[in-house]
Order: sequence, then C-alpha cells, then structure tokens
Amino acid sequence: MILKAPEKNIRRYGKAEGTGYQSPEVWSKVTGKAVYGIDLNLPGMLYGKILRSPYPHARIKKVDTTAAEALPGVRAVLTGAKLESKPFGIAVEDELPLAVDRVRYIGDEVAAVAAVDLQTAVQAIKAIKVEYEELPAVCDPAEALQEGAPQLHDNFPGNVAWQRELVRGSPGDAFTGADLVVEENFTVPAIHQAYLEPISCVAVDDPYTGITLHTALQSPDAVRKIVAGVLNYPLSKVHVSGPVMGGGFGGRVYGNLKVYILSALLAIKSGSPVKIQLTREEEFTAGRPMIAAAIQMKMTVRRDGTILGREADIITDNGAYSAQAPWVSKTVSERNDSVYRIPSIKTRVRLAYTNKIPTGQYRAYGNQAANFATESLIDMAAKKLGLDPLEMRLKNCVREGDITVHGLQIGKCGLDECLKAAAKEIGWDQKKEGRGYGLSVAIHANGSLVFDKNFRGASALARLELDGRITIFTGEQDYGQGTHAAFAQIAARTLDVSPAQVTVESKETKTAPFSTGALAMRQTTIGGKAIQLAAEDLREKIFKTAAELAGAPVTMENGVMCSISGQELALAEVAYYNHSATSGLSMTGEGKFVPEESDYDESGYGNISIAYSYAAHAVEVELDKTTGALTVHRLVAAHDSGRIINHLTARGQIYGGVAQGIGMSCLEGYLFDEGRVANASLAEYKIPTALDLPEIVPIFIEIEDPAGPYGSKGLGEIVMVPVLGAVANAAADAAGVRVTGLPLSAEIIYQAISGWECEQ
Amino acid sequence: MSYLIASSLEEALTSLRDGSGKARAVAGATDLYLQEMPYGLVDLSFLKETTVIEEKEGLMSLGAAVTHALAASSPLVLSRARALAEGCAAIGSPQIRNIGTIGGNVINAAPAADAAVALVGLGAKAELVDINRETRTEAVENLYWTHNRSLVDSSKEIMVRFLIKPCLAGEGSAFTRFAARRALALPMVNAAARVKLEKGFVKEVRLVAAPARPAPTRLLKTEELVIGRPVNGETISMVEKAVAEEIEVRGSLLRCSARYRQHLVGVLVASALKTAATRAGTSGKAGD
Amino acid sequence: METYTDPAESLLMVLREKLGLYGTKAGCGKGECGVCTVLLDDRAVNSCLVPVGKVQGRKVETIENLSRGGKVHPIQEKFVEKGAVQCGFCTPGMVMSAYALLKENPRPNPDQVRVAISGNLCRCSGYKQIEEAIMLAADKLKD
Repeated sequence: MILKAPEKNIRRYGKAEGTGYQSPEVWSKVTGKAVYGIDLNLPGMLYGKILRSPYPHARIKKVDTTAAEALPGVRAVLTGAKLESKPFGIAVEDELPLAVDRVRYIGDEVAAVAAVDLQTAVQAIKAIKVEYEELPAVCDPAEALQEGAPQLHDNFPGNVAWQRELVRGSPGDAFTGADLVVEENFTVPAIHQAYLEPISCVAVDDPYTGITLHTALQSPDAVRKIVAGVLNYPLSKVHVSGPVMGGGFGGRVYGNLKVYILSALLAIKSGSPVKIQLTREEEFTAGRPMIAAAIQMKMTVRRDGTILGREADIITDNGAYSAQAPWVSKTVSERNDSVYRIPSIKTRVRLAYTNKIPTGQYRAYGNQAANFATESLIDMAAKKLGLDPLEMRLKNCVREGDITVHGLQIGKCGLDECLKAAAKEIGWDQKKEGRGYGLSVAIHANGSLVFDKNFRGASALARLELDGRITIFTGEQDYGQGTHAAFAQIAARTLDVSPAQVTVESKETKTAPFSTGALAMRQTTIGGKAIQLAAEDLREKIFKTAAELAGAPVTMENGVMCSISGQELALAEVAYYNHSATSGLSMTGEGKFVPEESDYDESGYGNISIAYSYAAHAVEVELDKTTGALTVHRLVAAHDSGRIINHLTARGQIYGGVAQGIGMSCLEGYLFDEGRVANASLAEYKIPTALDLPEIVPIFIEIEDPAGPYGSKGLGEIVMVPVLGAVANAAADAAGVRVTGLPLSAEIIYQAISGWECEQ
Repeated sequence: MSYLIASSLEEALTSLRDGSGKARAVAGATDLYLQEMPYGLVDLSFLKETTVIEEKEGLMSLGAAVTHALAASSPLVLSRARALAEGCAAIGSPQIRNIGTIGGNVINAAPAADAAVALVGLGAKAELVDINRETRTEAVENLYWTHNRSLVDSSKEIMVRFLIKPCLAGEGSAFTRFAARRALALPMVNAAARVKLEKGFVKEVRLVAAPARPAPTRLLKTEELVIGRPVNGETISMVEKAVAEEIEVRGSLLRCSARYRQHLVGVLVASALKTAATRAGTSGKAGD
Repeated sequence: METYTDPAESLLMVLREKLGLYGTKAGCGKGECGVCTVLLDDRAVNSCLVPVGKVQGRKVETIENLSRGGKVHPIQEKFVEKGAVQCGFCTPGMVMSAYALLKENPRPNPDQVRVAISGNLCRCSGYKQIEEAIMLAADKLKD
C-alpha cells in the first residue's frame, strides 16, 4: 500500500517562494539576544593570550617563561619547544602550533598562556622573555622567487609554496600573426574579509566527550579534522559547537586554526575551559587575508573582436604560511578563462613565501582579481579595435552547450541575457555626458570538486517530529546569507508544508551530517539538493505510514493528509502513530547527493562542478579630474543564479557582495611597511560605510537549471566578481587612461591622469 | 582612579589642584583609551561656561565642551561661523560627534583635526584658566607644542571657551577636506578660509591648511597675494599654485604621497576660499 | 540600575561583563566600527569610548531596552521585514543608531538615514535594506 505523492501536489513554487521568508534566528539577532562567540562565558573559564613575534624573520634563541609561570592567576604556559608537534596545514603542511626555532612574520605565534582573567594573561605574555636573532627578511614576492633571496622553509626551496604551468589549446599559434595583442601588468593587494566579529574560541576538554570547540565556522568538519590531527585525538573526540557567526566571507572556512589549536592545548594543559579572542589588531596582523596578486596578462584578438588566446604569468604572495593560498592561486589562474570562448591559454602561476602575514580565502576565491585583469584587457582590446565593449563581450561570452578551455560544460546559461539587461538598465546606448561606463562578466562554479574529489556532494536528514514539525539536520552553515531560510523553503516545498514548520539544525558536529561547509558557493545547489532528497525520502515514508494508519491511500496538501475515504490526518497524528508503532523511532528521511557526472583530470581539465552561475555588471561613475576622486553612482548587477528561491535574501546577497566589490575596487587593501601591517585597524583598513556605496540595481535572469534544487543555483560569491572589472573599465572610460593597480584610489587615478611616475 | 563630574568651574579647578598633576581635565574623553589612563579625571562636560553658545557684544562664545554635533547644528554657528559647523560635521562618525568636543579637538593636537582647522581659519581665540585662577587668551594656533602634543597642560589648566569674531555682512567662511572614505576617516588634507569682501574685492582673508606642521598652518603669503583681488577663476588658480609653493607637506603610507598632498592642499584651500567668497555675499559672485 | 565599578572602565565593558547585557557587541574598542552603539541621554555614542564614570546619573539605553515584554520595536520589526539582518553582528548597534535618529528626526530623508548610520560598519548588507527598513520604520512610527 505504498503510494507516491500525486504529481498535482508537487507545485512549482512553494508557499514562501519569491517572498521574504527568513529563518527565525533573525529575531534573536535583531533583539540582541543572539549569542555570538565573543559573548560566550563558561563557568571556570580561563582567558588565553598569544605572544607574537615582533620580527618579520628571526631565529628564536631562547624562550624564558619562568616569570610568567610564577605570576598569580596564570594556569598554563605553552611554548613551541615543549609541544613536539608535527607540521600541519590546509593545502600545504608548513605550520606548527607555536614557533620552535624560527619566526617568519610579525605576528607569528611564539607562546601562549591561560590565566584567570584577561589582564593577567596580558601581563603573563609580557613577562615571557624571548631572545631573537634577526634574520634577513624578504617581503616582496617577486624578490622572494629570485636566487639568493632569504629562504623561509627548508622543504620549500626557492620560496615556492606552490606553482603550476598550464597550456591548453595552442597558444603559440594564437599569438603568431594575431591582429592585436593587448598586454598589461595588474596588481591586487591582500584583502581582509573584515567580518565584524573578531574570531574567538572557547575550548573545553572533557575526559568523556573529548575536546569541544565553541566557535563559529563555515566548515566545522574541516577544522575538526585538522585539530584532531594536531592534538592526536580520535576524530570522534573533537567536536565543534557553533555559536552565532558574526560574518565569515571565506575568513571562517578554516578561520584561524592557531586560535582553535592553542585554546584546545591550553584547555588540555590547564584542565579548564579556555577562551582566546583575537583583538581587531590581531585580526589584521595575524588573520588570514586573501593573497595579493601580480598578474601579467596578454590577450590576442582577431580584428573582428574574437578572442584567440591569452597568456598569464602570475605571482601570488603567500606570506609566511600557506593556509588556502594554493587553492586561491589556482582559481586566480583559471576560473575567469571560462567566461569567454577562449581557444588557447598559457598560464604560469607561482605562489611565493614572504615574511608577511599568512593568507587564506575570501569570497569568490580570487576570481575577482582575475576578473579585474581580464575585463580590463577586453576593454583595452575593444578600444584599440574600435569595437563596442558590449558587442565584444556578446561576441565572446560562453553559451549553453559550450565546453570551455578548461573543460567546464556550460549548461543552462543566461550570460548574454545578463549582459544585455545590465547594459540596458545602465543606459549603455544613452550615456550621460561627463560620466564613465564599464561592463564586466563573470562565471563561478557551484561547489567545485577541486577541494576533495572523493567528497563532492552533501547529505542531510529530515526528521518528522512528534508535533508534526520537521527538523532538517545539515552540516551546511548559515551566517546570514539566508541559506537556512532557503533550506526550510526547499524542504517545505517538497513536503507541502509551510517553511515556518521547518527547523534547520547545523551547529553541532555531534549531530550534523559531515559537510564540506559554507564555501565555493556550493550550499544552495549541493547542500540544498541533499535537503530536497531528504525531504522527498521523508515524504515517501510519511505517505506509507499515513496510508497504513488510514487503511487507504492518501494525498497531502498544506501539511494535511487526506485518505480516499475523506479522512483527514495531521502530520502529528502520523508521527505519533509511527512513534507508538516503533517504540519511539523517529521517522527520518535521508538525502545524499553525489554529483557523479563531474570530474577532472590531472591537469585540472574537466567539468569541475554540476552547475555554474553567471553575471554581468554595468557601472556608471563620475571622476573629479582635479583630485582624481572617483564616485560610483550606479551599479547594475544582472545575475543568472537559476530560479531564485528567496528574492529578499538574494537581493541582500547582491547588495552586500557588490559593497565588498566596491570596497576592493576603490578603498581596501593591506598596506605594508616592510613586513609590518601599516593599516591594522578598521579606521585605516577602510571598508565602505553607508556613504560610500552607489545605487545598486539587482536584476535576476531566472533560467531554471535542473542541476540545483528546484532549478536554483548559487549566488553569494559570484556577486562580488564582476564589480572589479566593471569599476575599472568605467574609471578608465571617465579618465581616458587606465589604472592597473587596485584599489583605484583618488591618488592613483590622479597620478595616471597627470602622467606622474608612480610613487607608490 | 577617581572620576569627578564637575558641577562648577571652581570645583573643577580645585580638584585639579588637589590632584597635584595626577588628575586631568577631560570633556568628551573619546581618546582616553588611546592613552595612558591618568589617576583622576575631572569631567567638564556639564558646566555652564564650557557648554555655552552665544553671541554677545559682537563676539561669539563657544564653550570648549560643546560637542561636534552641537556645533555642527547650531543655528548661530551655521550662520556666523559656517566653517566650524562644516569642520565639526566632517569628524569621524555621528557617535564620535555626539561626544567629542571642539576643545578636545584642539587639545588633542592631532595635526589635521577638522574642528581645530576651522577654528584657526576663523581666527578663534581660546580662553583658559589655570589652577591659580589666572586667565589667558591665546590664538588657537599658538596652543600647539609639537605633533600630537598641546601646550595646554590639562592637569593645571582648563580651556573654557573659544571667542570668535562672527562672520557678518560681506564676510564668509568655509571648510573643505579630502579623505579616502566619506565617514570614519582622517583627511589627507583639510583647509579653511575666512574672507571679507568689499565691493567684490578681498579686504581681509585667512587661509589655513593641514596637516603640515603641528598646528593648522596659516598661509600668510598666499593671503597677501589675495588681498585686493576679486575671487575669480584667475585668483583661484593663482591660489592653488601659491599655496602649494608656500606650504610644505609630507607624505605618509597611510594617507598619500607628499607630491599628491602638495597638489591637494592647493586645490582644497582654493576651494575653501571660493566657497567662503560666495558666502560673503553678492559681491562674491564676481568670482564665480 | 546601579552598579559599582572602576570609573575608568568603558561603558561597554560594564554593560557586557558587569551587567551581563551582551546585546551590545564589541568589535574594535576604538570607536571605529559602531557595533557597541548605545544611547546616552538620547544620543548615539560608542560605548567602548565612554568611561563609565561619565554616565553616572545619566540615561543609558541599550538594545535590551527596545524589546521588552516580548514586543519588538517597529525599527526591529522593519529590519526583519526588509531583510536588513544578515550575520546580525552590527544589528544591535545599527538599530540603536536608527533609534537615536528617529528620536531626533522622525521624518528623515534617505541621505539623513545614511549619515546617521555612517558610523556603523556592516560587512554583509551593503546597507541598502537597512536604509529601507529605517525609512519604513519612520513611516510606521509617524502613524
């Protein structure tokens, strides 16, 4: 008596779709009741503090902790020499929990203490005496790669943390006898994610359950694996329990591993919970910003605007340790190639160790840096050939059915519609006098396989509660992007209930399914699909049980089942019937989504994702030629992210992502004085305020993509990508000259207009 | 640590004297956590003398503990000392402006403090009283010792108020600044101008820019060049050049290069002069 | 509420650590981010910069004051309605800045709204839905 849900009950749009359903957590946030990591206090908790290197490069001769240990209130002191740890790392194993014999950047962790209060911990840190012998430092990545440069790591000769050379098609032919070659050097500084809540962790060591890290992470499982390895604990004895997360943007995928490892080690040593919280200054000097990149790029174009090939030589600045910099460098070096039909490419990318802050990942993974370079070259080529930049993009942009130079299979694709819509909305054909205009396009993968070929999908559980509500268990994290609202909507639509009846649980690794996490724009497409499958599985189980209970086949609408005989059954009744019949087993649907069809070879060639999102942005700017000040007046963001599940939160992603793009285009960037971070504060690392942003016009080109749940695809990361190229092109249009280094500060633009030699 | 909210100037002076150099007078106290905490604080925020805004016998009195927000929105300041209202409105953020004070902006002695630059531009004088009840009046630009160090010793002396000659008919003032961000940002350059026109020609003028020296810098040579001229396009270009020649600025990694700042300072002073002249009345229109 | 503490401590530390009012957030400790915004005698201030000695006998309002007895303030209601809350870390300070604005100026225009929140950094939202929410709340409070 198994009956599938009749087709008529699976409606195309769930109840809250396209409207503004939001996860109930917003109410605790808006009333100040949400508990963030920095708000956590546990009974008996100690405060941890880290002693950091004042030198960019030095040998540690001696660490004397006697005075610190003698201070009243100090409960634990750790030094590298006593830890006997093996190197660990994310992409490359090059870090130790605490430096043993060498420090490699200003901020490198040398010792850690735990004390009864923060003041005592700070005093204890000051009481530790370290003797250093300064070593020659190298802070410029190009210099670091040269022969004779100071070497940072014995097992990475030449300061090369990672490198790659790649040839596809026949770039040699492409560059021979081409109608036009455009070439330029572009520079992008290191960028901090600037999440507003500083990273913190309360570590608790319990003899029974093991280590629990109370910290908000985008990828709790990834961090747990690394921490377990460093502590030499079994994986099942390391847990992450997430408080509410005050922003991530890639910065909390792996977060700050040193904070988690050191708080755990201090908790183990002291026997008490230990909280380490980074100061804002530590965030800027010892966080994990995205790599700086120097991109030398060349493009060859036929007279009619057809792109024939492109070459790039890229140097990325790793800093002293790697975090995710190799992966980000890889994205910089190739993702943007797939937005156009480029037949041939040749790329070299080298990631160089320098005596500076280590680097991690940021929203869009460096795709935005490549966008700045490529999109600038497109406009340069169009100008030289006398072509309209819009026409040149329409001529070359990828379309459904294409296989790109890196093997990406372009499925549903609204890129040309995005371009046309953005150009129309900005007034491309009726440009205003005295204003500059720019366009840019982007592609971004929805969860690329390159992280872990053996773990490419996601899983979820959907449980029917005794009261008829639904609980979704997922490892996918929400820190305000609206993922959990979307998940509730997906489950609700599948089960034909209201999203408000669905609770999404993700914050305890003890109960959540293992997950890759909130990164690579994978959550809606891959995580959401798993939730849809779990909900479908649960739905079948509900129908089966309901039919048993009613003694007849049932249909369901609005969370109420109806048998053929007209008997109505509430979900709670079905749940309770099952509960009694199974002595308490809950009815649970399982969803596993394993995207088998995508793959790649050793060179990285292949269809790395099940779906891709597309975008085109158009920008209108005004330039004050007396100062070089650039005002971005308007930005149109046209996006194909498939069907939009929730327009309210999707708009929020566009506004916020564009704001970060404007920040990176016009304001942001690390400033270094040799190895020292010169702008280690929110006053001097300038993210946009409410007064620094243009009017932002979101446009959704909703082309259903069967790959994602209910035709939807990811949006969060790609939003930021095209901003860079579009702003750069608009600025060049307004100025009459092109600036090739970010950020496009008034000074840099003024220097370009005035023909000054660059003084930066 | 003791914290006294003074209820009279007399009480404030007595407790400073009793503190024997270990107590300090404060108003907004916003920069307190950026420095070493003194033993005692005497808060001047609620005194009649330090919070007054009035015009009496042809002189404006502005209490040193008047907040930036208050100064920026005061009808009297807006009509008679516009540069100060503009300078105060440009400081930090609404939160800072609600608590930071114009006196603090001067005593803190930051080289490009917006209110201080405007005050110097307007020709303001500060009235101070010390623990021996001796009163002195000094031009604001004479209160600077060195970079970020004031000549006012807050453990011995209280800045009570500023005295400003109001801008009346034929007079105008303006403040300009240039920063990387539109809020929460220190300026690369700021400037202020005060001008008196007679029949369309400059009769009196004060031009000030920062940061160059510890105090906001008066551009005396440029002022001289402007006297007797109409504020027209020619004068404006002349001022741009003259300022850049008269003042020497430095570059900094956080703000901008010396060369760019040198260029900006001319542009900003000229722009302040132009706006001030426009405000000076119909005669100013000759310059447009 | 009465409490005894070192007057040199910041109002923020006293609110959070002494009074357990964790709704006011801490982001930089230097008045550079605005997440610690509270009202002092009806005006928005950075509580991290206010020595608590300064507030003796004065009125301090925090995010906890706005939603008492299970009822939320119209500003909070509109923040949710407009999607102005993402990670939420800036939200309490942002709401307090909006609250201060609407006390002083019940009918702000969008430019005034942007100025009023220009000392509150937000990394998630691009501020647009926050501006919309404040305008909508002003409308609702007018009625």
